[in-house]
Amino acid sequence: MKRDSPAVDLSPAIHAADLTKRYGDVLAVDHLDLDVRAGEFFGLLGPNGSGKTSTIHMLSTLIRPTGGTARIAGHDVSNEGVKVRAAIGVVFQESALDRNLSAAENLRFAGLLYDLPRAEIKRRSDELLALFGLTDKRDKPVASFSGGMRRALDIARGVIHRPRVLFLDEPTIGLDLPNRKKIWRFIENLRAETGMTVFLTTHYLEEAADCDRVAFIKSGHIVQSGPPHELVSRLGAFVIEIEADDADRIVAELAPRLGRAMMDGERACFRFHGDATQLAALQTEYADRIGALRWRKPNLNDVFLWVNETEATGRPSSGEMEGEPKAGRPCEDGISGAANTTGFPPSRE
Amino acid sequence: MTYRPILAVIEREIVRLFRQKSRLLSAMVRPMIWLFVIGAGFDAMLGRGEGSSGGASYQYFLVPGVLGMSMLFGAMLAALATVYDKESGVMRMLVIAPFEHYWIVVAKTLSAAIAAAIQAVLVLILLALLGYLSKDLSLPLLAVGIAATSLASASTGMLIAACTKTLDNFAVMMNLVIFPMFFLSGSLYPIQHLPDALRIVAMLNPYSYGVDLLKHALPVSGGAGFSASFSTDFSLGLNLAVLLGFSALATAIACARFSRETAYEPLIHMLSRKRGE
Repeated sequence: MKRDSPAVDLSPAIHAADLTKRYGDVLAVDHLDLDVRAGEFFGLLGPNGSGKTSTIHMLSTLIRPTGGTARIAGHDVSNEGVKVRAAIGVVFQESALDRNLSAAENLRFAGLLYDLPRAEIKRRSDELLALFGLTDKRDKPVASFSGGMRRALDIARGVIHRPRVLFLDEPTIGLDLPNRKKIWRFIENLRAETGMTVFLTTHYLEEAADCDRVAFIKSGHIVQSGPPHELVSRLGAFVIEIEADDADRIVAELAPRLGRAMMDGERACFRFHGDATQLAALQTEYADRIGALRWRKPNLNDVFLWVNETEATGRPSSGEMEGEPKAGRPCEDGISGAANTTGFPPSRE
Repeated sequence: MTYRPILAVIEREIVRLFRQKSRLLSAMVRPMIWLFVIGAGFDAMLGRGEGSSGGASYQYFLVPGVLGMSMLFGAMLAALATVYDKESGVMRMLVIAPFEHYWIVVAKTLSAAIAAAIQAVLVLILLALLGYLSKDLSLPLLAVGIAATSLASASTGMLIAACTKTLDNFAVMMNLVIFPMFFLSGSLYPIQHLPDALRIVAMLNPYSYGVDLLKHALPVSGGAGFSASFSTDFSLGLNLAVLLGFSALATAIACARFSRETAYEPLIHMLSRKRGE
């Protein structure tokens, strides 16, 4: 029943079609389509309440879909729950550890739940504790652990049975920056070592930059997906930030040329598809009217900002300076017409 | 589902039992308080007891009752802790593990019963050291009595735990469930002498049959001087049938109830509720 290697299996690690979860009047997950290849590092990104956790809970058999289907490693989440659970590991937002037991005891408890022999659990625990830098804590009670250590142990707990698919629901939430970096290094090591499929949710977008593919979820449906670098380069060559006294007038003036601006505090941000020369020209043109003009490479945060903008207006923003072909955009999940105007403030770090 | 996950749950319960020193200590002290304080008090009131000629000591009557008490409280407290577990990390590990969710109830019931039986054995040793056990006790029958009483107490606890959303107040559970079960059994007085209403309640109380089974296994020392009130209330077979039948029924209901809770998600929402670490 346990596999030690992902071996030959052509079924996608995760396949969801029309996956829907409704709580009364609230559509938490709205006809979601999703395919994740075996071995892929996939990020589901979105603000709080966008349906990320509901999606993970459906994919991990803990809640029943209201509609649609999902298969994990070829097993249906609705009627092959036990098989699905044997194939996955889940790290919840909240810790899944017994605070009264030591690190080693927690791993043994988890390993036994997966029916692993004790000797095997011991071997894997030692490996995982070493991988996650917890070797000297193995016999300390979890209650004495820091948040970062606890999360690391929780991930070790989630992979002790070598799952084919690992679900990480906001693995770095509530951790400080050094610990977040540590957790990411652990996950990287784990992927390098096991090749397991990792399905991640996060709202720290910069953390998703290493994903093979990300999808932005909003109000329960996916509004854009693709490899992070593609999404970023599709956004434009640069993001320019403008500060000015009469910002409103300049924004209105530039909008036909650059597309809609996203306001980031006092700054107006535009996508810019031209090259450095054109950028310099723009800078010269406005040099005496603006306080500051900065330009930088776009990142996933910007993708997220503009995704929300297109979502809020119900159509892709127009007026690209360089006229990049918008139509061919492989946004398979469609920027659906379900115009959601409840919009949420652009998230910033 | 094989045996390892069940063993894991049992192992955790035992580790916790011996790690929580105060829990173990109170499990030992509680029966002794009843035996020595209540027992001695009643003896004094009735003019009985060691050296007196008024009749047999009430303390000896209490022996099976306090042994049963160690199981009733031990099993109930372990099983009811599942209600707290519903919001805990351990429950997250259990619901995501690859077996049907009703096995969680089965494993928890068994682990609570085993924790209770361990406490009963410790109390039994204490009673033996204090000279409260007669030489003609039946060890096999005692073992069966401890097993069946522990199991019935644990299933009662799990049934309550499976039907309870939150345990805001453990004392409420103590006063509304555990104490009535203890008082309305044959622990403190023979059931047959109770007023009708109370006798009927006591006969509906599955725990009564556990205490009675222990009375079969622990014949009161002192011999012929004892009145009929020291005899047992039910037959051996009836005791066993009620205890095992009730355990099976309660566990089945608890399993169904718990599976429903996981299938229809209230438990999952409880587990994914944000709480400060």
